[in-house]
Amino acid sequence: MSSEAQAVTIVMVEDDEGHARLIEKNIRRAGVNNVIIPFTDGTSALEYMLGGDGSGEASARRHLLVLLDLNLPDMTGVDILAKVKASRQTRRSPVVILTTTDDQREIQRCYDLGANVYITKPVNYESFANAIRQLGLFFSVMQIPETD
Amino acid sequence: MPISTATFIRSTLTLLGAGLLILIVVAGSSVWLAERTRENAADVQEAQSIRSRTSRLLTLLLDAETGQCGFLLTQDPRYLEPYEAARRQIRPDMERLKQLHQSDPDEGRALDEVSRAVLTKLGELDQTIALAQVGNLAAALDLAKTDRSRETMEAARKTLLDLLARTDVRLRGDIEDMTSGARYLSFATIAGGLLVFLVGAGSFLIVGRYTRDLVGARAEVQTLNETLEERVQERTTDLARANDEIQRFAYIVSHDLRAPLVNIMGFTSELETGVGTVSRFFDELQVDETSTSAWEAKVAVKDDMPEAIGFIRASSTRMDSLINAILRLSREGRRTLKPERVDFGELLDLLAANIQHQVSEAGGEIALMRPLPTLISDRLALEQIFGNLFDNAVKYRDRNRPLRIMIRAIESGRIVHFEIIDNGRGIAKEDHERIFELFRRSGVQDRPGEGIGLAHVRALARRLGGDIKVESELGVGTTFRVSLPRVLRQQTSEKAMEGVNS
Repeated sequence: MSSEAQAVTIVMVEDDEGHARLIEKNIRRAGVNNVIIPFTDGTSALEYMLGGDGSGEASARRHLLVLLDLNLPDMTGVDILAKVKASRQTRRSPVVILTTTDDQREIQRCYDLGANVYITKPVNYESFANAIRQLGLFFSVMQIPETD
Repeated sequence: MPISTATFIRSTLTLLGAGLLILIVVAGSSVWLAERTRENAADVQEAQSIRSRTSRLLTLLLDAETGQCGFLLTQDPRYLEPYEAARRQIRPDMERLKQLHQSDPDEGRALDEVSRAVLTKLGELDQTIALAQVGNLAAALDLAKTDRSRETMEAARKTLLDLLARTDVRLRGDIEDMTSGARYLSFATIAGGLLVFLVGAGSFLIVGRYTRDLVGARAEVQTLNETLEERVQERTTDLARANDEIQRFAYIVSHDLRAPLVNIMGFTSELETGVGTVSRFFDELQVDETSTSAWEAKVAVKDDMPEAIGFIRASSTRMDSLINAILRLSREGRRTLKPERVDFGELLDLLAANIQHQVSEAGGEIALMRPLPTLISDRLALEQIFGNLFDNAVKYRDRNRPLRIMIRAIESGRIVHFEIIDNGRGIAKEDHERIFELFRRSGVQDRPGEGIGLAHVRALARRLGGDIKVESELGVGTTFRVSLPRVLRQQTSEKAMEGVNS
């Protein structure tokens, strides 16, 4: 793994701690060792990514990859997605939507807003683990631009 | 208070009947009174006739006497002319008078008296004239000068005057009768007219009230009619809202139920992996077979835990499929229908081709009874309905006989009934409704399934404005009858729903 890839920080926004744990486990099993910063609500995740002032300056020197759940207690993941993609500093950061919703309209909306990958969490654990591991594999080859 | 139709008819008929009765009575009494007046008039005429004849008789008698006196004094035969004229007239007049009095025996007797007195006087006059004519003037004068002559004249005059007086009385009575008759007639006419007027006024009032009520009722009906569309629209919107809420509810519930299930399945797998690791560790480890705790631990790891994990996994899988079923139904309910021309010949051919392989394998056949109609409906929903029914026919075939599926369409006005007839295992009568319920199944549970298919089919059929029914006999076969409108109308509820959503 290249040093650039190493520098990528994975931001995981997931209110279900069980899901967060399972995702993390499987990412690690795929051999991805990047730092994962978990958030269980939208407000604190946005604060981390865009800073207290919401300008995005906080992420100016960061390489971020966002794992986003759509059902959050304080806001929907779609709102977070829109804000991340609207900020000049974070808009190039890849966003992976990981959610239980496989509603076509929701998927379309996320892609329209600039989501890079949309994954439905299958109840079947083997498929779930497989999907996350492939995602990890995908991370390892993915070139993440430094935000300017 | 509005008048009921029955009351109205009863009261109107009663009033009309009363009016008719009064008219009949008035007309009857008028006819009777008129008849009486006519009779009275005839009486009056008769009395007048009697009176005039009586007075003429008296005049004639006086003329005769005057003529006699003149002749006796002068012996001039010219004086005999009035006598002769009176004499000629008296007898027929007497006869005429008698005829007029024929009906009344009392008057008849009185008239006989009159006649006698008059004829006596006339006889005496004749006698004196006859004596004078033969030259015996002295004897004639003697005879004329006697008291008897005066008395006979007086008697005749008196009887005639009496008759006149009686006739006058009768005439007065008759005239009085006539006047009172006329009075009765006018009284009866006025009273009848008044009653008829009252009845008419009563009828008028009732008809007026009834008409007012009718007009009021019609106005009310019109108002209701005008607002009907509005109220239907309101209720449809309410229904659409409720329906929409249920759909959302089902959708949210199924999604929120899924999240914990992901954890259960995930950590069960983690646990399984862990148990596997421990189990392998036990295999490598040479455990002391005599130690109870070691043996128990081995049983727990090798048997109990995998068994528990197996049950958790099976239950979670089942739960997942149930949630997916709810989700699918909810999603199907939210999908917007797209009406288009659907040729059932083509559609069913396509669906039959999908199961042809399985049917041929089972030695069976599918018969489509052509011609099949073309409907304006939602193709996807129709594919799901008939595909599901075809699958069921194959799935629940009777293995003791070759499968036969027949499909035919019966057109009935704006509705087309499709019958899917199979010779499968059939459905017990008590389950005919149950099979359409979600997660319910019927018969021997030897085929995989969740009890979703027919619930889905019914929901779809109803959404297309139709319905599905089943006729079946256990061990003989099943007929599903799908009724669909020839043209799918974009339902008001959906339009309303669009309104709600926007």
